[in-house]
Amino acid sequence: MDTQFIGEHLRPGQLGHFFVITSFVAALFSTFSYFRAVRTEQTDPLASRSWLTFGRSGFVVHVVSVISIFIALFYIIENHLFEYHYAWEHSSLSLPGKYLLACFWEGQEGSFMLWTFWHCMLGLVVMRTAKGLETRTMAIISLVQVCLATMILGIHFGPDLKFGSTPFLLLRHAMQDAPIFSSPNYMNFITDGNGLNVSLRNYWMVIHPPVLFLGFASTLIPFSFCIAALWKGEYQTFVKPTIAWSLFNGAVLGTGIMMGGAWAYESLNFGGYWAWDPVENASLVPWLVLIAGLHTLLIYKSTGRALSLTFVLLLLSHLLVWYSTFLTRTGILGKTSVHAFTGDGKALTYHLLIVIGILFLLALALLIRRWRGLPRIKTEEETLSREFWMFIGSVILFLSSMQIALSTSIPVWSPFAKWISGKDFAPPIDPMLHYNNIQVWVAIITGILSASVLYMKFKNSDGRVLAKRLGITALIGLVMAAAIGWGQHITMWQYDIMLFAACFGIVTNIYYGIVVQKAKFKKLGPSVAHLGFAMVLLGILLSSYNKHAISFNITGEEFNPGKRTAEENAKENSENELLFRGVTSPMGDYQATYLSDSESMKGKDKIIYYNIAFEKRDPKTKEIKEQFSLHPDAFVNSKGEGVLTVNPSTKHFWDHDIFTYVNHIHGGLLDKSKTDTISYKSNTVNKPGDTVLLNGGYMIFKGLDRKVTDARYTPVDSDLIICARFTVYDNKDKPVKDIAPIYILRNKREILHIEDTVGGMNLNVRFENLVVRSPTDVSTEIMVKQTDSDFIVLKALVFPFINVLWLGVIVMVLGFFISLGNLLSKEIATR
Amino acid sequence: MKKTHIVLLILIVAAISVLVSAFGNFSTYETFASASKQAGKKIYVIGYLEKDKEMEYDPKKDPNHFIFYAKDKAGNMNKVIFNGEKPRDIEKSEQIVMMGYEDAGTFHCSRIQMKCPSKYKKDMVVEGKSS
Repeated sequence: MDTQFIGEHLRPGQLGHFFVITSFVAALFSTFSYFRAVRTEQTDPLASRSWLTFGRSGFVVHVVSVISIFIALFYIIENHLFEYHYAWEHSSLSLPGKYLLACFWEGQEGSFMLWTFWHCMLGLVVMRTAKGLETRTMAIISLVQVCLATMILGIHFGPDLKFGSTPFLLLRHAMQDAPIFSSPNYMNFITDGNGLNVSLRNYWMVIHPPVLFLGFASTLIPFSFCIAALWKGEYQTFVKPTIAWSLFNGAVLGTGIMMGGAWAYESLNFGGYWAWDPVENASLVPWLVLIAGLHTLLIYKSTGRALSLTFVLLLLSHLLVWYSTFLTRTGILGKTSVHAFTGDGKALTYHLLIVIGILFLLALALLIRRWRGLPRIKTEEETLSREFWMFIGSVILFLSSMQIALSTSIPVWSPFAKWISGKDFAPPIDPMLHYNNIQVWVAIITGILSASVLYMKFKNSDGRVLAKRLGITALIGLVMAAAIGWGQHITMWQYDIMLFAACFGIVTNIYYGIVVQKAKFKKLGPSVAHLGFAMVLLGILLSSYNKHAISFNITGEEFNPGKRTAEENAKENSENELLFRGVTSPMGDYQATYLSDSESMKGKDKIIYYNIAFEKRDPKTKEIKEQFSLHPDAFVNSKGEGVLTVNPSTKHFWDHDIFTYVNHIHGGLLDKSKTDTISYKSNTVNKPGDTVLLNGGYMIFKGLDRKVTDARYTPVDSDLIICARFTVYDNKDKPVKDIAPIYILRNKREILHIEDTVGGMNLNVRFENLVVRSPTDVSTEIMVKQTDSDFIVLKALVFPFINVLWLGVIVMVLGFFISLGNLLSKEIATR
Repeated sequence: MKKTHIVLLILIVAAISVLVSAFGNFSTYETFASASKQAGKKIYVIGYLEKDKEMEYDPKKDPNHFIFYAKDKAGNMNKVIFNGEKPRDIEKSEQIVMMGYEDAGTFHCSRIQMKCPSKYKKDMVVEGKSS
């Protein structure tokens, strides 16, 4: 007997599920119809026409269904229908409107849908523009849509086998074992959802996934054009649209990847924009392969060479997108990645493997069948031809991507390696070094090639003109590199060569654009893209090579001798600095003060902002030259079972960034566990120079003094009065304040004390007692009270010239779009 | 043979030799016992926080010094010194991956990666410094 549940809204879910099924069936129908249209093309053109119409209608129905799924799911999220697992898990009542879209793609199903959605949009464009290749390209696009639709089907075969997972799953079905769901009015208890992970709650989460997924989705279009060309056995008509789509793809995917880097840099605390993390690598590899494929396709267009390699690269690029989905979604990366999605288990693993298998075998079979018949040019290319060097550059890019792919895939191949060698392989100890040592050479070679290749002409070039132009620009590049290398202290020789490659690239591409191409905007695409690439190389080099911490801590070495070996101390580059509230500490060229903390509510989560003031003073005049404050924050994540999360705060200058985040918090608004230690501790000093240890510093005894000039003391004749003079230092050995607590013996009986204090250190000092054994042997008892002051542990990093990197990416993407615009305007003109 | 083929061949040979030489970069997962056999060599140990033992972290003395005890997968307990701040919520971790080297019965750790039990929380990583 089924329970009748109260308060559920089942209609949107049923509608949504209906559209999921419709989208799947329509895609299947469209694939079949387009396929039939291809098969009947020669034998029965009339039937082919009607199959084409069927295919188109099928695809349009599919697109409408996908949009309807979107609307249904959005309706559920927007109306907070928490009876649905997706809404309950990813959204909450208090979530601001702009993040409702973000919780859409926080989950596995939603991000698959985003991917599907972009395929739909791109598919519509292809349907209208592909002309003679429409049937074949659309058959492939629809086939991929069938595969993607299965991902959100959520159909169960028996108790264990699940085929895809639906976003319209009811909460009570997702958690069948929970007893609450046996009561019909369970909705009364489900009042709010889990909400969006707070660390994902920023504008990057709203804009980055759509752009990145558009980039991933657009690899499908060159893929389907290549398949279509191979299928048809005709290798001319696919060239132009494939170049156009590859340019679009390169621009969008490139933007998406760097947005990911910028997001990591702006709001996560990985301490940089690129960490060679598997998830980052997984998006970079398809892009590198795509760029290699774009270049070989340009070779083919101009010279008829390199067609087979073009097919391999462009087909691989899309397959690698599926492979990276496999790496990042199934949880296989597990312990090797910083931000891999948590896995959806075995079902998804096999599901994705089957899809990759189908697409891979399809591409491979076609390629093998057509391989011998692919047009090739028998003659040899000239050494001074553009195609020769472009070819080499493409191969280098491809090899570079394979090194990254192989290293990233450790969790995939390590079980086999263990089976053979018995060793349990792990990622490199220092991944940065592992990748950089190899990729620096890729950067050098591709940098120099992208700098000089435009000066060469297809087929053959005039050696003398080439030598003259490259000679001049290389010389300017060399001077520029020498100046920067000297100014920025870049001493490792590999990186000096890379610096030259980048400078050379900047000079040659500007020179080429202005002098050779006379700044004709339409033609500037390649030189602008290459200029951007060179700037990216320069930006990466400058910001990473001289990235350094300005927060250092020396406390440990001062007061815990013997606790750690000297070697350990020397080896450790302590990048954290302790900041007591209200106490100023040096940080690089700056003086940093943790002034206060303040709280603000972000939904259910309380975020604490730490106000840290930085100021730089002129060493001589002591005038303030620079002043700013940073507000790194921290919060307890209500979603992650009370896990503490921190976000960085960055000060941008034109030539460098100061990047800070809080690593540890004691006291203040966040940490209420702090207990005040109010008891006095007794210390005895005997002679000037004796030291009393304090929290966050120490004080040195200067001696006793009969002359008291404290305003708080009103002289009384019978008093015996004496003060003990101390200088208080902070833990940087910097004097903070001179203090003089006072000891008074009134009428030879009564003992009075006047304490002295240091506000910034919460320090109270009392002259407790005086023991005189002989005129030279005097002991002074000092009582010290120091309330447990609030502090934070801060890490501060400097990234020099990081703006060169961001600007480079923008310039490069601009180059892609100029080329694309030029290509499209020519296309329209020839119509 | 065409020039392109020769270049291609050279590049592939170079790539393979680079890959083979870089293969040594790959580390291995070890236990504390097998790590002590190769003292001083940096490796990974997968283990669990020993919650019964006291953790030592006093940022006032040194914010980059954290001592705790961990059990590896074979069940052996070891003292671990991490040259960095105490990872946030390490108490809640269900598994920790430690990168470092074993020396005289102590594991010197320069990077810690934790897996937290929440199904909503993505894997957390705490980057220490690699010297």
